[in-house]
This record gives sequence, C-alpha cells and structure tokens, in this order.
Amino acid sequence: MANDIAIVGYAQSPSLRQAELTEPQFLFPVISEAIERAGVERREIGFTCAGSCDYLSGQTFAFVMNLEAVGAWPPISESHVEMDGAWALYEAWVRLQHGDIDTALVFGSGKSSPGLPAEIYPLQMDPYTLTPLGADPVSLAALQARAMLDAGKITEREMAETATRSRKNAIGNPYAQVTGDDDPETLLKEPYVTAPLRRHDLPPISDGACAVVLATADKAKALSKRPVWIRGIDHRIDIHQPGMRDLTESPSTRIAGKNAGVGKGKVDVAELSATFSYQEKLLSQELGLGDGVEINPSGGPLAANPVMAVGLARFAEAARQIAERGKKRAVAHATSGQCLQQNLVAVLEGD
Amino acid sequence: MTDAKQDEVDPNAPVAGMDFFMQLEYHELLCPVVREFADALMDKRLIGHRCPQCGLVYSPPRGYCPICVVPTTKADEIELATRGIVTNYTVVTPVQYYGQEETEPFAKVSLQLDGGGNLSLQDLLEVPVEQVHPGMRVEVVWAPDSERKVDDITNRSWGTAEGAIQGWKPTGEPDASPDDYSDKVF
Repeated sequence: MANDIAIVGYAQSPSLRQAELTEPQFLFPVISEAIERAGVERREIGFTCAGSCDYLSGQTFAFVMNLEAVGAWPPISESHVEMDGAWALYEAWVRLQHGDIDTALVFGSGKSSPGLPAEIYPLQMDPYTLTPLGADPVSLAALQARAMLDAGKITEREMAETATRSRKNAIGNPYAQVTGDDDPETLLKEPYVTAPLRRHDLPPISDGACAVVLATADKAKALSKRPVWIRGIDHRIDIHQPGMRDLTESPSTRIAGKNAGVGKGKVDVAELSATFSYQEKLLSQELGLGDGVEINPSGGPLAANPVMAVGLARFAEAARQIAERGKKRAVAHATSGQCLQQNLVAVLEGD
Repeated sequence: MTDAKQDEVDPNAPVAGMDFFMQLEYHELLCPVVREFADALMDKRLIGHRCPQCGLVYSPPRGYCPICVVPTTKADEIELATRGIVTNYTVVTPVQYYGQEETEPFAKVSLQLDGGGNLSLQDLLEVPVEQVHPGMRVEVVWAPDSERKVDDITNRSWGTAEGAIQGWKPTGEPDASPDDYSDKVF
C-alpha cells in the first residue's frame, strides 16, 4: 500500500513559440516560484528529478546544465528521465515512498523551437524499420485520427469542437500560447495540414517549463492548508509498432486509469495530454470520464505544448483546480511516444 | 548511403548492418546576456557577471549564479583581463568518425584570468601538446577584425568564445605558482 504524497507547490513558465532565454534561464524563476509557493527551504528538498530531452536541445548532457537552475551546491541528490517531467514526478513519488526524506522537487522543460520536430521525432522509433521512414508525429497522428473516423468513433466536427473549447478555455490561462474564440464551423473551413488533421487539430510548437514540489503526508500538512493528494498513479505502455495495435483504442490508458483509481469516485475535472484534438475523446472514453467532467480547463496541449513539460503541466493545472478553484477530485494524464503509446494517469484529491 | 562496398556484398548473405546517415539542424536565438557578451567580443572586450552574493565571476554571463541561485544583471557586469593562467588542460585524441575533421591530438585548456573569471575549453596556440602544463601564463589572440563572427558564438557550452578569439599564446613570463590558482576554480 502506497503512502499518500501531496503536491504542495507548482509553477509554470509561459509557453512561447520561440523563447529567447535558454532552458536553465527560463527554468530558474519557475523552480524558485514552485519552491517559494511550497514554503520549503531549498536545502530541505531531499530529492530532485527532472524530465527533458537532449535531442530537443541538440546538445548532449543538456540536462546537466538545467541543474544550474536548482542550485546544485552543496551537492544535491538528483536524477533525470529522458521523458516528460510527469515521469520525473513518478520517480520522485517512488523515491518519497522510501520514507527517509519528506520533500522532492520535480521539473520538466523543453525548447521545441530550435529544431524541426518532423526530423527529431522519428528518432524515437526503432532504427531499423520505422526511423528510416521518417514518420513524423503529425503523419502518425493523422493515421490514428483516420482510424478513429473510419471506425465511427469520432467526427471531424467533434475534433473542431475540442479545439474550439481548448482555445476558449486558454483565454483565461496566462501560460497559454494559442487562444481564440472561433466557432467550429469557421475552423472546419480551414484546409488540411495532413488529412484529416487541420491546423487546429495540432499542438503548437512551444518552449516552456513546469516545476512541482511534492511532500510526504506529515510534511504536506505542516506546509499547506490545502495539500493536493496523489491518491493513485500508474503508467503503462502499448506495443511500440504502431502497425501492430488497434489505433482506435488505448489499453495502456485504460489500465493505468484503473490502477490509479479513476473510477473509484466522481471526477470533477481532468487535465489530459491530448496533444492532438481527436485524442481527447479517446482518452476520456478509456478513462471512463462522463459528461459531467470538465476537461482541460487550462486549454490543454492544444493551447500550449512545451514538450517534456506539457505532461507535468497537467499535474500543475489539475492541482490548481483543487488548491485554488475548490474542486475535490481531478485526473492528470501524460503521454509519450507516437499515437499515445505510453500513458501515465494520476488521481488528485483535496481534503 | 550507397557506396562501392555494397556492390561487393553477397546478396544472399544475411544483413549484418546498415548505414543510415542523417543530420539534425538547430537554430537558436542568442539569449540576451550572451548577446551582450558576443557584442563585447566583437569589440575585443571580454565581459562577465560577478555574483553580488559570492563574488564568483561568470564569463560568458549566465544571468544568474548557480551556486547562490540569485539572478545577475547588467549591474553585475565587469570587464575581464585578457591575460591569465592555464589551470588545467585536456588533450583530445581524435577518433575518426563521420564528420570528424580533426586528425591530430590537440589541447583544450581552462584559464583563470588575472583579476578573476574563468574560461574553459580554450585553444592554446604555439605550444606542442606535450608541453602544455598548468601554471603557463598566456594572453589572448583575437581573430582578425574581418574574421570575427558573432554567428560562431552560441548559448551552448558556457565559456566558449569561438568566432572572436583565435586562442591563447604564452606571454613568455615564468610559470605562476600553484598558490596563485589553486582552490579558485570550481
């Protein structure tokens, strides 16, 4: 039986199409703000874990430089995942289960703007049959969207409605990059980028960062009037080869959601890493989220997609809904790989 | 991807390996503090930020002190000496791989500048690699005006000044004593 761990502080940078600052430079104030909001002393933090991607940065060991934003002297205990910061949060959650430390700092950061995502992402495929194809994320997402359309599991209008709602929700989000109040009819008149996906179905290219501070139960109660409890967390992987799975389903999301305990109570709000518009419906169904659930009130990844921070930002936004907006129970979701290959789901609750 | 060797391969033999060459390009804006550093270099000046809390000097400036975790600003900018002491060095023996241009061993040195400030990964000129040693006193050799290029200065690898500085050459003075540079570099 896992111990409850709480989110006691969080902060984000604005998501920008092209950041002028370096990753450690824009991480610097984000990490400081998360620590300040948690009310802990920097020296008290027992473990630090970061998520980022050297391929995105175009520099080997770029993640080491990001540690400058933490303050690494005297030496700290830290780790790094070549994944979204949400997986760094998972590692920190596991580390806190040991019980010998009571506080952990997690952050994720990335700059997508310097490189070309269509060139970089095929490298996450197997090097023998898939990488040489140069299958970029938009093409793969278009295949998945097409599979869902053909199976009658979604319509182009529903995809446009998701984009419309995301953009409208994002108007109130100071960290968002893409906002707007166009109606679905207007969006549907736009040409395809890669059929059946139009521009509004794609996430923006973003640079940005997010940081979260976790604490064990006693520490969290001492630090925060309204700690946000992580009641369950799980992550699963589907088959790597996109041709070997039914793209209209996401069993990894379903299993992770079940293990995290999504169905054990009423969900008020969900922050989903639906990076492409059609994924929101697929994820909602696999997680069993009904009509009464508010999805991506922040605007979600269609409004801001700082790769390697976008999943952790779902935790920050879900926690904000509980700590600042009075919601009781929230779901946070992160994804990685092509066509929702890997999925992480957590259930957050206020007292 | 195809080369003459492939013609010699037995078409019935199992595939043992395959070549896949690719290139990734990155274009990044110079961050504001490094842009100021680059502008100064074009002017044959070396600048840094002195941390208002611990006094350590960072060149190129980062906009923060990673030890104290405090921001640094234009107010913390100082001009650095263009003479200093070799504090450490690495001899790199090139392994030939695709795209590698170096063929002979070369040295990269770390420097402690007179009056404060450190630079790493600098080229040492006029000295055979087997004679490189800590304590050597050196001075800057600027690239000629027409060859100094701001384009070669990037946000990456704090401490490089390629494009403006050709390297560092011995001043001919006697070596510095270890007392002059030990415990000053981190």
